Amino acid sequence: MDISRSRWVWLLQTASGVALVLLLSLHWIAQHYLASEGLRSFEDVAAYLNQPLALTLEIAFLIVVSLHAMLGIRAILLDLNLKPEYQRALDISLWFIGIVTVLYGIQLVWQITHL
Amino acid sequence: MEKKSYWFDLQSRTTGMLAFMLHRLSGIGLVAYLYLHLFLLNKLRQGPEAWDSFVQTMRSPSVMALDAVLLFGILIHGLNGLRLTLIGFGTLLRWQRVLFWFCLTMAVALTLLGVLAMH
Repeated sequence: MDISRSRWVWLLQTASGVALVLLLSLHWIAQHYLASEGLRSFEDVAAYLNQPLALTLEIAFLIVVSLHAMLGIRAILLDLNLKPEYQRALDISLWFIGIVTVLYGIQLVWQITHL
Repeated sequence: MEKKSYWFDLQSRTTGMLAFMLHRLSGIGLVAYLYLHLFLLNKLRQGPEAWDSFVQTMRSPSVMALDAVLLFGILIHGLNGLRLTLIGFGTLLRWQRVLFWFCLTMAVALTLLGVLAMH
């Protein structure tokens, strides 16, 4: 991998990590700190997700956490001295897993808010 | 001969390697938790009764003990990640070892505070 690409990947991993500190804090405050006894009831979850700001926050959190997780797994696998010919397959696989994860989360939220 | 992977080296006793290993192991644990969390949220699809009964199970002491492990994982990964960001941008390079021990101490202290708050 060329240096400029690895630098961009590192910047993306770093930026998503910093964003996660904020997004995870907001997620934790909304879902656990403000909830009675640490967890929301079904009605509370549905009411929370029906607010546009909360929905945006949770979807943004899901996208950023999936990106950060996939980049982290990639870094670990590359450090295990994966053969260069497998790196493209790894990148495609991780993109696929990340996109499926985000779509799964969006579909879950859609179902909850439409039950 | 293939180059030996170096990121998980139990023989190494340096602060840098300890920080590196802890960051990777907590990262792997948090990815596993992310998928467990998404899988468990499936209970919401089954409606109010299934979810509210699941929430009661999640409030049991044994699950709360696992929450403490999760909290420590999040804290050490997040705090050490911020340390790595500073170092990556060439800031506080001379203090990186001290900063790691500070992050570890903060993670332990905040986990203990979290456990106290959960009870």
